Amino acid sequence: MAMERLQRSLVPAEGATGGSGWCSSSSSSSVDSNGSRRKMTSLRPFTCDDLFKFNNINLDPLTETYGIPFYLQYLAHWPEYFIVAEAPGGELMGYIMGKAEGSVAREEWHGHVTALSVAPEFRRLGLAAKLMEMLEEISERKGGFFVDLFVRVSNQVAVNMYKRLGYSVYRTVIEYYSASNGEPDEDAYDMRKALSRDTEKKSIIPLPHPVRPEDIE
Amino acid sequence: MAARGHVQDPNDRRLRPIYDYLDNGNNKMAIQQADKLLKKHKDLHCAKVLKAIGLQRTGKQDEAFSLAQEVTTLEPTDDNSLQALTILYREMHRPELVTKLYEAAVKKVPLSEEYHSHLFMAYARVGEYKKMQQAGMALYKIVPKNPYYFWSVMSLVMQAISAKDEKLAQTMFLPLAERMVEKMVKEEKIEAEAEVQLYFMILERLGKCEEALHVIRGPLGEKLTSELQSRERKCMMLYTRLERWPECNALAQKLLLKNPDDWQFYPSYFDSLFHLMDQSWSPPDDAEHCSEGSVHHTVAEVVRFVEERIKVEDEKDSRSLRGPYLARLELMHRLRERGYPEENLPGEPLDLMVQFFRKFGDKPCCITDLKIYLHLLTPDQHVQFINRLSEMVPLGEQGEDGFAFPEDTKSLQRHLCVCQLSRALGLHHSLDVGGKLRLIAELKAHYHHGLKFGSSALKTELQFSDMYCLMAAHVYIDLWTETGDEDMVWQCLGLLEEGLSHSSSNAQFKLLLLLLYCRLGSFEPVVDLYSSLDAKHIQHDTIGFLLTRYAESLGQFSAASQSCNFSLRFFHSNQKDTSEYIIQAYKYGAFEKIPEFIALRNRLNQSLHFAQVRTERMLLDLFLEADVVLSLEESVKAMSLSSEEDDVPWDTLRDNRDLTVFTNWDPKQRYGIYHRTRSLEEEKAWLRIRSLTLRLLASLTPSGHASSQQNSEMSNENGVGDRSSLHRSLLSQLNQTLHAAAQIAEKHVQYPLLGPPSTRLASALSVGSCHCQAAALHLSVHLQELESAGLEILNKSKGDLLEMKESKLKTQPSLLENLVFFLETVSIVLWSASYCAKILRPLKTSLQKKKKKKKDVNTAMPLVVCGFQELTGNLQDLLTQTVEHIRGQESGITALKLASLTLEGCSRVGAKNISAQ
Repeated sequence: MAMERLQRSLVPAEGATGGSGWCSSSSSSSVDSNGSRRKMTSLRPFTCDDLFKFNNINLDPLTETYGIPFYLQYLAHWPEYFIVAEAPGGELMGYIMGKAEGSVAREEWHGHVTALSVAPEFRRLGLAAKLMEMLEEISERKGGFFVDLFVRVSNQVAVNMYKRLGYSVYRTVIEYYSASNGEPDEDAYDMRKALSRDTEKKSIIPLPHPVRPEDIE
Repeated sequence: MAARGHVQDPNDRRLRPIYDYLDNGNNKMAIQQADKLLKKHKDLHCAKVLKAIGLQRTGKQDEAFSLAQEVTTLEPTDDNSLQALTILYREMHRPELVTKLYEAAVKKVPLSEEYHSHLFMAYARVGEYKKMQQAGMALYKIVPKNPYYFWSVMSLVMQAISAKDEKLAQTMFLPLAERMVEKMVKEEKIEAEAEVQLYFMILERLGKCEEALHVIRGPLGEKLTSELQSRERKCMMLYTRLERWPECNALAQKLLLKNPDDWQFYPSYFDSLFHLMDQSWSPPDDAEHCSEGSVHHTVAEVVRFVEERIKVEDEKDSRSLRGPYLARLELMHRLRERGYPEENLPGEPLDLMVQFFRKFGDKPCCITDLKIYLHLLTPDQHVQFINRLSEMVPLGEQGEDGFAFPEDTKSLQRHLCVCQLSRALGLHHSLDVGGKLRLIAELKAHYHHGLKFGSSALKTELQFSDMYCLMAAHVYIDLWTETGDEDMVWQCLGLLEEGLSHSSSNAQFKLLLLLLYCRLGSFEPVVDLYSSLDAKHIQHDTIGFLLTRYAESLGQFSAASQSCNFSLRFFHSNQKDTSEYIIQAYKYGAFEKIPEFIALRNRLNQSLHFAQVRTERMLLDLFLEADVVLSLEESVKAMSLSSEEDDVPWDTLRDNRDLTVFTNWDPKQRYGIYHRTRSLEEEKAWLRIRSLTLRLLASLTPSGHASSQQNSEMSNENGVGDRSSLHRSLLSQLNQTLHAAAQIAEKHVQYPLLGPPSTRLASALSVGSCHCQAAALHLSVHLQELESAGLEILNKSKGDLLEMKESKLKTQPSLLENLVFFLETVSIVLWSASYCAKILRPLKTSLQKKKKKKKDVNTAMPLVVCGFQELTGNLQDLLTQTVEHIRGQESGITALKLASLTLEGCSRVGAKNISAQ
């Protein structure tokens, strides 16, 4: 639901020089790990083969089908954040794709929802809520301060669902979604939910003014 | 770029504008700026490379390459030049040159962590696993960081995976990798989750499941925290492989207690029970059942466990979970499959399914859930089942038309589910024509009634009642295919178009409309429908066939060419894209993803659709561009088409089509596999014919021979001989393929409309196009046969595209298809003829010279020349006939268009005409 803006870059960023460990700089604080209460049918890591089977989810006007590199980037960097739900008959029901990012020092280390989509026939089962819960739990384990996501202001169904799940509008991002098919640019809500590490819920205090896409990190 | 951050280097400041120009896509300015800079600073190598990037991006590959080589031979060690060259070589698809670059750099700066790390990545990009292993260790020696050590370990695993000899993997690479990790374990140097993950991968591949279990359950396993339930899932997998059924059973039980809806553990739970029963396992007297806890080893215990889960759900205030209810059906299915006497212990299937419906009938997925268990019912229970479900659907008062409608969306969903189940049980199919028409009327009434629930729906949302509309369309299609009454499909189109007008983002409506328009031979609406699906990237591979199957055969050559191009662009970027993310996976330690990414790359490279669009695009280029005399040769050359080279990976072709993309409630879904297998066989045969045709065409031209290009001296002597032997061998392959294809076509496999589309093979054979093309390619041997065959195709293409029969409009898409075959065939015949003309011309000239010398009037032309002249004469006639036929059709269709134009106010026009007279 939230569209990721890709960065243009001439220079390949590679070579793991600098830090002493693996590049995924998760500041792991071991949050309680026994609370994995899954509700729905088989929930498992998304694999490359699922790309060939997700048409019933992705042939939806609000679900973007990205280029292969985009999915591979997530699978290489945050495989645990890319989860798919599969029905007993083998049909893919829905998936969530996310990542962890931000500076720990500035208390901005957080989980981000990049895409969340459920096939029409598997809606009204609470699957999206379940997938969000899992993403939040992974973010808790990584010691994130909050979880955030971007959503089209017009996508009232999704905005309401996120509100029910405890998310609130942190700020509006002006013309975040670029125009397609002659429709105008659209604003996004940046919605957030505080995690347990942010005890005072500082991360979700709404900004008084909207921001432009170039001002967000 | 790392070095760009250091402001102190004046060169960075100088290069900055060039980077900016390149970043903004202003390549010309970048080149100019680089030239300017190079005038002042001749030794600023990086400027040369950046200029080369600009050149490369403006299509001047050769210039760019020589400039890059100039810098490369200097073995640069400045970061800017190295990075820029890396980008350039990657854009040139020459990643192997990057390895040379950094090999030189580390030789000059042997202690540079950065260059060694780049060297490792450069090897990773080209899959040089052995060198990666060494580069990783070299890095670790310079800077003892764990990732470097484990890069080296993973490179060993990759050598094992890619080894052709499995023995080598099992006895050398993997044990070595294992020892390397063990060393770190002993020294207590294991730090990260990725390292444990890799250890697990190695043990698993070695089949050392006990050891793997020990790792996962031990302190190292505690590091596996990122992925939810990673340890549990791994344990379960290992218990199964080790056939430790008590542990399997006990663990599944524990996990299901925690999450009774997690489907993946039910099969383990049930299977372990059966294994325990087979082994007559009984619990030890005075000890724990196993290390995972208590074991359920009788059917009764397992049934009780599932019943308890259901009871918990039943008593819950919040939303009940489907898992336990479905599990009961699954258990019954498995018990029955194994013929256990206790199969009905969980209950009567009919009752259980009715219970499931009572609980979940208002969910859209109820049909998907129940569909897989319908076989548990006996055929004589079907009607009873539907009747009992219908009783649970609250409907309002019956209206005048005899239909009663649901009063809210939950009842609608229940009613819809009963309809879907009826269809899945085959109850719709067994109705007679009248019954089907009544059913359609009912479904349409429900569809229209249900629209009121979604009157405020957004454009991006579906209507609640859309599925009724789709199902009515399916019944229309049943009628059309059973009775051949084309009225039915026209009605169906109308209904679907109406559906789309109320629910403009319904992909199912679009897909079915697209398919029907193609089947009726009308391609124009298809382009818009397909583009509104917004299918892109990987979807070109999975559903692109919907477009490419029909575009060409319906004579939409430029649309066909375009859709092939879209797909090709996707496939071509695959190679470069995947390598980048393989590198990322090393960087982030996502080791289990590396073989997965490589498998993805292979799956795309070996895609059937990829091979098809590659072949068809080239054929289309020839059909569209090449004329008889010169340009066939030019085109073949421009495409660097070679008759020797077969670029289709026949043995490893992957069928990536998504044949489940159409919603389908038809029974006997199990035939899906059968149709897929037959369809793949047919697709391969057709691809082989097309690919051989293409190669044979290439062999008609001198440039279509790679060997003759490479070895021009040889070809002067032997070229013709080689060519004709290759031509002959290709011809005999084509004949064999045609023979095999005829056998496939004889099977007359009837695919369901929503199943895989048939290929063009059967019609190409029956219309005689294959035969004629082969004959044309055999030209010198079979002149006579060719002529009659060609006429035959044209005759089969004649007839009106739109025909009025008994006051009904009838479409004739097959005529269009035949006409396309004719055009393709004529092209091939003409090229072959021109090839023959080339050979015959010198013969004729020399004969004429002889004739003049001898002044012998009686020396007749040899039969072959006369025959050829007759052929070209007849070809001329044939083409004239064709052009006349097409003109006739054109004026017919134009007349139709004109008629529609004058429908309105035609009387006035008529009156004017009369008065004018």
